[in-house]
This record gives sequence, C-alpha cells and structure tokens, in this order.
Amino acid sequence: MSEHPFPEPSPQFPEHSPQFPEPVEGPEASTSSANLPQFPEPSPQFPEPVEGPAIKVTGLTKTFGTFAAVDGIDFEVPRGQIFGFLGPNGSGKTTTIRMLTGTLRPKSGLAEVLGTDVVRHPERVQRRIGYMSQKFSLFEDMTVDENLKFYAGVYDLPAEKFAQQRDYVLRMADLVGREDELTRNLSVGWRQRLALGAATIHEPELLFLDEPTSGVDPVARRQFWDLLYELAGRGVTLFVTTHYMDEAAHCNQLAFIYRGRIIAEGSPTELRTKYMDQRIFDITVSSADLALDYLVSTEGVDEAYLSGASLHAATAAHSPLSADDLRQRLIGAGFADAVVLEVEPTIEDVFVNLVSRQR
Amino acid sequence: MKASLTRIGAVTNKEFKHLLRDVRTLAAVVLLPVIQLLLFAYAISFDVDNVPTMVIDYDKTPASSEYVRAYDASSFFKVVAHGDTLNQVDTAFDANTARVAVVIPAGFGETIAAGDKAQVAVLIDGSEPNSAKISQAYSVALNQLYDQSMTKSWAASQGLDLSGIGALEPRVRTWYNPERNSTIFLIPGLMAVIIAIVTVQQTAVTLVRERALGTEEQLLVSPMRRTELMVGKLLPWTLIAFIDVVMVILLGMAVFGVPLRGTPLVLALGSALFVFASLGMGLLISAVAPSAETANIMALMIAFLPSFLLSGLAFPLDQIPVVLQWFSGIFPARYMVTISRGVFLKGSGFAELWPELLTLAGYALVMVLVAARLYGRKARA
Repeated sequence: MSEHPFPEPSPQFPEHSPQFPEPVEGPEASTSSANLPQFPEPSPQFPEPVEGPAIKVTGLTKTFGTFAAVDGIDFEVPRGQIFGFLGPNGSGKTTTIRMLTGTLRPKSGLAEVLGTDVVRHPERVQRRIGYMSQKFSLFEDMTVDENLKFYAGVYDLPAEKFAQQRDYVLRMADLVGREDELTRNLSVGWRQRLALGAATIHEPELLFLDEPTSGVDPVARRQFWDLLYELAGRGVTLFVTTHYMDEAAHCNQLAFIYRGRIIAEGSPTELRTKYMDQRIFDITVSSADLALDYLVSTEGVDEAYLSGASLHAATAAHSPLSADDLRQRLIGAGFADAVVLEVEPTIEDVFVNLVSRQR
Repeated sequence: MKASLTRIGAVTNKEFKHLLRDVRTLAAVVLLPVIQLLLFAYAISFDVDNVPTMVIDYDKTPASSEYVRAYDASSFFKVVAHGDTLNQVDTAFDANTARVAVVIPAGFGETIAAGDKAQVAVLIDGSEPNSAKISQAYSVALNQLYDQSMTKSWAASQGLDLSGIGALEPRVRTWYNPERNSTIFLIPGLMAVIIAIVTVQQTAVTLVRERALGTEEQLLVSPMRRTELMVGKLLPWTLIAFIDVVMVILLGMAVFGVPLRGTPLVLALGSALFVFASLGMGLLISAVAPSAETANIMALMIAFLPSFLLSGLAFPLDQIPVVLQWFSGIFPARYMVTISRGVFLKGSGFAELWPELLTLAGYALVMVLVAARLYGRKARA
C-alpha cells in the first residue's frame, strides 16, 4: 500500500491530517464490516506518490478565440479537503474542471492531478477521479440498479466489488428497496444522491462536482452536503464548484474565480478576515427594490445588494456610519419599517467586495 | 483488452435497455421495414397492365368486333366502356375512367375486305407519361401483330404460301426479370433504402441524447474510449438492422416471389458493410447535430431522400443528370442497391460486385472514424 494514496480503512479512529487523510468509518461500516467500502488498488504501471497535493495548477490558461475563459490561474488543493471553487456563471469554473479531468486541452500551463500531468496523460488519471455534474448524468429510462451496473461496467469493476459498492450506494442514497424503480420516477434529491453514488462507484480518490446542487431544494442540498462531508471523512478530495455562496462555508478551502482569474483564496475564515475591509449592514425592509435604489446612491455606502430575503449594505471599515444612522436615513427617505443590523460578513459579502474592487 | 470489452458490453447492454423500454422506437424499428416494404412494393409499381380502354366503334361490323376483341384478349388493355361519340372520350379521360380510347371509323370492315389498309385512331391520355409511353408502344405492337395475322389469313385465303418470303422477325427477350415485373426489380433496392432509413435515423439521435443527459461528459471523464463507445452503440443496431434485412428478404421472397439467384454470402457481406456505413453516417450526424430534432431532419435529408432518389431505386442512374450521378456516389445506398439487385436478380458474386463491396467497406470505415473524431471534438470544444 506504500504507493497508495489512501491506506486500507482502519478500524481505529484516524488522525486527521490534510496531507495524509485516512478514511473514517462511515455509518454503514458500523452495521456491517463486510460492506466497508474499499479504496481502489493503484494500477501497478503508474505508481503515484502518496505525498503532494491532489491538484496542482500553475499558469493554466484556456482561450476560446480571443476570449480567455481561464487566464493563467494557480492553485493547489491538498488531499482530503473540500475545495470550493466559486464564481458567477461564465467565470471559468467548468472550463477549469474540464481541463483538470482531461477532457479539454489547456492553451498553456500545468495541471497536475494526483501527481500526474493530466494534460499529457489523462488516461492515467481517469480511473482515479470521479465527476458529477448538475445534469446528474443518469439514464432516466433505466432503473437505479441498471444505472449503477452501467457505470460499474464503464469502470470495469469486478463483480464482488460491485456488489459491495452497490450496497453502499443504495444505503447512502436511501434507495434500498427501490433498486428496480426507473430513475425518471425518482425525485430530484434522490436522483442527485444516486448520481453521486454512480460517480463514486469506482471509489475515486478525487471527486469533481460541477454545480452539484444546482436546481435542488434547500433540504436536499443540506442532505447532499452531509454526504460530501462523509466522503471527505473517508479521505476523498472534493473539488466543488458552486455559485451558491452559502455553500462556500462548508468548504475547507476556497478560491474565487472571476472573469477567468482567481481573485482570492483561503479558508472561509481567512477570506472573511483577510480580504474584508468593509462593514456589513443587514437591512430588512418591505419595499426592498426601492430601498436598494436608495442605498446605492447613499453617501458612505460603498455597495448595496440583495442577500437572500434582505439587503446588504457595505461601508468602508473606518466609516463612521452606524446601524442606527443608516436606519434613520432610511426612515427619512420613507422606508418606515426598515430594520438595520450590523452583521459579520458572509462569504457572499466578501465576494461582492472582491468583485467591486476588480471593476 | 478485457476492460475494453467490459466497457463495450456495458454500452451495448445499456442500448438494448433503452430500446426495450422505448416501445414506440422498438415498434418502429421492427414494423416499419415490413410496412414500408408492403407499402412501397404495392404502391410503387412501374408496371402498366389492365389499362382502362374505351372503344368507339363507328363501324359495327364483324371485322371491327374482331379487332376490338384483340384488345380485350391482351392483358395489357381492358375494355371498360363502349362509347358512341368522341366527346365521351374527353369525359372518360377527365374522370380517369379510361386512359386509352380506340376509335374505329365507319368503313373499317369494308376497307379490310377490299384488301386496303384500314385506319384506326388510338387516343392516349398523356398526363401520365410513363404509362402513356408504354400504352403507345403496346398498341403499336398489337396493331402490327393483328396486321400480320390478317395478312396471313388473307394469303391463306388466296392460296399463297408466305413462308417463302424472307421476313425478319425480331425476338426480344428480357433477361433476369423476364416478365419485366417491376416489383421484383424494386424489392432488392427497397431493402437497401429501408435499412438506411432505420439505421441512420435511429443512431442519429443516440449521441445527441447522451449529450442532453450529460452522460456524454460523464463518459468522457471515465476510462471509456470514444471508439469503445461508438462500437458499443453500433453493435445492437447492427443486430437489429440484420434482423430487418432478413425480414425484408424473406417477405420479398415469400410474398412477392423475388428470386434469390446469387449466393447469400455476398448479400450478407454487402448488407453488413452497408449497415456499418449507414450506422456510421447516423453517428456522424449525431456527433455534429445540436439537438435531436436537427438530427432527425438531417437523417431524413441525408439518408432517406438520397437513398430513395439517387440510388437507382426510383430512377435509373444513367438517366439522371451527370452532376447528380456524381453526387449519388457519396451516398452508400447506391452501392447497396447495385449489390442487392446483382445478387437477387442476376446471381452476381464477388467477381462482379467487388468494386461496390470495397467501396462500402471503405465508406463504413471512414464514417465510424470521422464520427469518433467529430464526436470528441464537439464534446471537448
């Protein structure tokens, strides 16, 4: 197991280290050790170093015509982490994932995935990575079981291995007893979990998730993130793109990509402290649209935007403006029911701040 | 290698599942060829027989009645009405109740009895040029024969022996299809067109569907090779196309009496190559089409119409404009029509058909390779 990135699942409690993660027993392991998911044997031809980051990217660039979709980005993803790749639609997230999975050739730059140059040798990496997109990639006219069987065939899983994995996936996705149901009859949350199961049927060491929660209701999103934590707990590195900023807080590490460039990276806490030089006020008001227009033009307010059901107003860190001042001004402007609170900046606030600095 | 076979097997298995779940497609694939064969074979007939014929006999003598009987006796004309005036011909042609009118002038019997050349008028509805042309040829032939027999009987009645006179008697024989039954001629060609329709149409949508589902991306990330995916998708359709081929052949032989004069081996090889070429064409369409609807229309434009019109099935290839003749060379159906007709009707074998077989083989190879390349490029762009 020396070249293997992940040791066999061990019964003792693992020490947590991002460099050398060990699989944690999932809930399924406690019920039946026979069904304990196993990590894939490394292919003997291409021994990979245990050490080193899961992903290392230097100067990665992709242009479509004259448009630089990804413009010389650098980042590193340590093993066993949940790495959040955030950015608005069209900022280069999917293009980056495609280059990292070996389906798109970069114009220039280096992309090392699990210690292998994925640009030159995508085939050496493909068995060891998984991919799940917002489309879920399931065949809707096939049953749950048939979908799993198909992907097991794609990854050439031995029969006993498939039996184990199938068992695990069915319990993970809460689909026990529904194996013969057509996938199209499953609701979105179930389909999403089945897609995750199908994408991890070959026990990848690194899983790419491209907007996996897009179009899924908040409850299912929450459950889905629980499953992602579980995967991470077993030592799988997760590379997640999302434009839901609230999901960013779930990640160990974040990188913001905007117009093809990474404009900030770090842990959620780091981002909130290091990059944030603004104070944030949360404003609840009935006529939010009008209040937003007012706030944008208010002196002392750098930025105002919708945030969930309320409005956020950002002011400079040294601004003398207080929550009460702001409330008085709003009431003065005719927004009598305005409630203003100074809040801790969220990841979204950080992102809005960063983007406004880019302009 | 083993892993590769597993992956191809997984795709093939999956494709069969799609097909079995999709009753409409399954029915289309199995029943359509049968329906198309019956429909085309019965509807598209270039044979002309039992042409409704109207007779206007102004003479009304035994001689004229005998002459009319000659029309009735031939299987080509069918006397459906007797009229009194020429106006009735117009009415009958307009109403499509008759296509040919035979007008015997008064004095017909007398003229013949006098040993002179009698004249009759044969009017032909020219709105259908094909049957008009044939009707004309037949009526000329009929009159010549009648003329001869009259000459003979006149000579006999005069006690002359005409056998001493040297006469040139042409004996025209049609080979391969002696009855010139156009159904027999059509069915081997139809076989090719039907296979083209089923295969191209069905595979054209298959890759587009994968793209819409997002499974294309998923498979590109996996160890699945593009050619494995293509082969896995082609295998079930090859089998189905072969079932269709066998069905069409058996139906053609049993119902329409098409003879199979050549070796089935050449036919099987030709069909296999043609199926691959058509499937490859379907995949090619699928690899470039942005949506299932576009793929369907492209399949119709590329597979159906040229196979039908430019394969020699409907029009002989040497009778279409030269540019279209060259154009027809890029559609595989024309080679298959030649092979099929050759094997069925002429009993041709490898010796005669190798150029077509070779062309189809090359075609199939190029199609699958180009489809595999384009498919990847589209997905990677």
